[in-house]
Amino acid sequence: MSDNESNASVIAASDIEVDHASLDASIAEFASQNGDYYAKQFHRIHSSTGLLPNTFNLMAAILGPVWAAARGVWGMFWGFLILEMIAWVQIGRGWWGDPGANFFERAEGQRERAEGFLERAEAARAAGEDPTRFEKLAENIGNAAEKSEALGQAASSEALGILLAGLGLLLLFKALQGFYANSIYEKQFSRWRIDQKLVESGVKSKNILLGIVLVILIGPLTIYKFTVDSPLEVLNEFPEKQVSSIFIDSDKATLFTELAGWLEQKIDNAAIAGAGAFDGITAGVRTVLDALGLALIGTPWPVVMLVICVVAWRAAGPRVAIFTAASLAYIALLGYWAIAMETVALVGAAVFICVIIGIPLGIWFGKSRRAYNAAEPVLDLMQTLPAFVYLIPIIAFFGTGNPPGILATIIFGMPPVIRLTSLGVRGVPDTIKEAAVAFGASRFQLLKDVEVPLALPSIMTGVNQTILMCLSMVVIISLIGGGGLGKVILEALQYAAKGPGLLGGFAILFVAMVIDRIVQGAFRRKDQEI
Amino acid sequence: MTESTESVVNISNVWKVFGEQADAAIKAIKDEGIGKAEVLERYGCVIGVQDATFDVPRGEIFCIMGLSGSGKSTLVRHINRLIEPSSGNIEVLGRNVSNLNESQLRELRANHIGMVFQHMALLPHRSVRDNVAYPLEIRGVAKSKRWAVSDHALQLVDLVGYEDRLPKELSGGMQQRVGIARALASDPEVLLMDEPFSALDPLIRMQLQDQFKALVAQLQKTTLFITHDLDEAIRIGHRIAIMKDGIIVQIGTPEDIVMNPADDYVREFVQGISKLKLVKAHSILEPLESFDGSLDGAPRADEEADLDQLIDHAVGTDLPVVITSNGQDIGVVTKPRLLRGIQGGKDQ
Repeated sequence: MSDNESNASVIAASDIEVDHASLDASIAEFASQNGDYYAKQFHRIHSSTGLLPNTFNLMAAILGPVWAAARGVWGMFWGFLILEMIAWVQIGRGWWGDPGANFFERAEGQRERAEGFLERAEAARAAGEDPTRFEKLAENIGNAAEKSEALGQAASSEALGILLAGLGLLLLFKALQGFYANSIYEKQFSRWRIDQKLVESGVKSKNILLGIVLVILIGPLTIYKFTVDSPLEVLNEFPEKQVSSIFIDSDKATLFTELAGWLEQKIDNAAIAGAGAFDGITAGVRTVLDALGLALIGTPWPVVMLVICVVAWRAAGPRVAIFTAASLAYIALLGYWAIAMETVALVGAAVFICVIIGIPLGIWFGKSRRAYNAAEPVLDLMQTLPAFVYLIPIIAFFGTGNPPGILATIIFGMPPVIRLTSLGVRGVPDTIKEAAVAFGASRFQLLKDVEVPLALPSIMTGVNQTILMCLSMVVIISLIGGGGLGKVILEALQYAAKGPGLLGGFAILFVAMVIDRIVQGAFRRKDQEI
Repeated sequence: MTESTESVVNISNVWKVFGEQADAAIKAIKDEGIGKAEVLERYGCVIGVQDATFDVPRGEIFCIMGLSGSGKSTLVRHINRLIEPSSGNIEVLGRNVSNLNESQLRELRANHIGMVFQHMALLPHRSVRDNVAYPLEIRGVAKSKRWAVSDHALQLVDLVGYEDRLPKELSGGMQQRVGIARALASDPEVLLMDEPFSALDPLIRMQLQDQFKALVAQLQKTTLFITHDLDEAIRIGHRIAIMKDGIIVQIGTPEDIVMNPADDYVREFVQGISKLKLVKAHSILEPLESFDGSLDGAPRADEEADLDQLIDHAVGTDLPVVITSNGQDIGVVTKPRLLRGIQGGKDQ
């Protein structure tokens, strides 16, 4: 290049000098106190290529977590606070704790009992009976006492060892902090350069205060609890009764009983007030279930079996069809036919309702960000809430039996189809939507011709997941009176009947696998294969 | 310029400013002449299109050229109201687009405006034929009819035999031909081409440009063609509008723009453009009288001959080329004049 005036001339990488001045200013701004020291240390870290730390920060070693807190290195603060606590507990145990106390106490008790037996032996002898039995017992217990005594001695003599080990650990952790403090701080500096708002820098009095308060609160109490033989009762267990009595002036009632009673009242009232609506829902669910049940159980079994096998074959190929036939044979031969069909009807009804409600909701959430944001916590709750928790209100509102069971299944099974539908709708490329609009598509045409077809793979994944979730749930609904194979398992569980339980379990497994295979096969469409 | 017959697309004083305080921002730009940086700072608004005015007569290919972010795609999306203008008037086929209601707008889009997109935007789950037929399907045309039309459109873009394939089975160039067929299927008066060939490799792009040019000439479609490539604009366009930061800097024929760039920005663009096929003899000729000497045996060329042809004439002789108009000698092009012309009209 002939352009000599250009500022950026090309220099060989080996000749490039490190510009310390600008970096120093940046480090000084970051550290705010002792900027020069950190500039020097950071340069040493920058210059080193080895793995081991080449700097030692005395303040960090001595102050430990407090230094980390002051500098806002919170990860280091918590890590070394816990480690140092372990060391301090050991030191405490060795110094003022009495590791042998338990054994000595036990030895004392055993010795007393041995003496008691000796007395009874004496008494027996005086009464002219055979004292050997008591003497034997006394001897055995005496031996045990000696053993406990010896263990106690050993434990006591270990106290010094524990103390030394604790000191050693403390030194080790201090050294680690000293050696690694600057390296860790340098990493924070690098992150701070990227995001100066989010990453803490400098020394802030707020941080120092928080660090000291945390250390004071956590340290002494923990060490006290672990090292003192019989610590204060209040540290062992939360004084729930005492706290309750502050709020409620009663001997028997606690916050818990009051709140639980109040809730129960409310739920009962709501159940009575909304009885019509709840009964309507139950009736609706029952209609769907009965229709499916009639189709699966009312139809002659050879017809149902044949149809299932043919569907498996058409949807997923001959191998799945053979597997399906074998599974059906297992179920039928072991007498599970009717009950397995009830399970299928339960799953089918639940999935049907999930899809009918879930897909429109999913499309709505896919198009409206605000609706999705509002719904997301609810969906999370539906999925994370353990089934046992909402079985109770369901019993309260809907009673027991199959329809309430299906409702519980729906709560658990609906989120995937909603989520994946909205994900699919949101994932439709804007360019394709724009093209359809540019050719005059109305909102409905856009939905029908573009959004739903393009979201279909995602929707189908959602339906598939919903089916599997519902399958896993139909076992649990036997707890609230649901029928099907879940009931078989529940009964086997109640009587610890291993054989029936296992056979029933396999029947569920086969039902699940057949449904899964068929559904997966059916959804694999040609234009989705990549 | 082509003979202006009837205005098909008429854009006048169209502004598009993105942001909440668009109106205030437009006022400030008009009154105080502030730039885009200040608009962003003061009003949090981004200028899309700034005071665009032009008129496209029937049958013309009107290219809009600009770098990415210059607002050319935004401008074109006003024509079928994919984007609402902040202010200004847009008329298509004599109808004011802004005044149309929902169903009238859909009718306009479906019947009168075809659009081709940079990223094809084909429906992946439909066959090529059904993709091309989609605009007709939206209009509610019967299946037999729309399949026939679709097959005809595919014939125009030379895709016979691919009707029943899925788009992903086709190469990028073929997919874009499907896109063009789709735009042509509803036989619209106006074609909007949004960088249709930008995503294709150069050889395919050249082929498609030629094919497209021939097709449009044959079908007499009024076309707005967006591109970021001046070469492409010159190859295809009857007229070119050059955009920068939302402002139309210059509108003119390719020759106009190359020979008389309006400002440094345009000049920089046209520098690398080959003038051989663009510059015509009449724009570089000198009067006959200025040449003293014998013109016996000098080669003759029409005033519409381009530099390329003039060079062919000039290489065989030391004499200048005599330029004729309707058989009359009207001037000469000397060697220095010709060489300067190739350079692009540098001052002599």
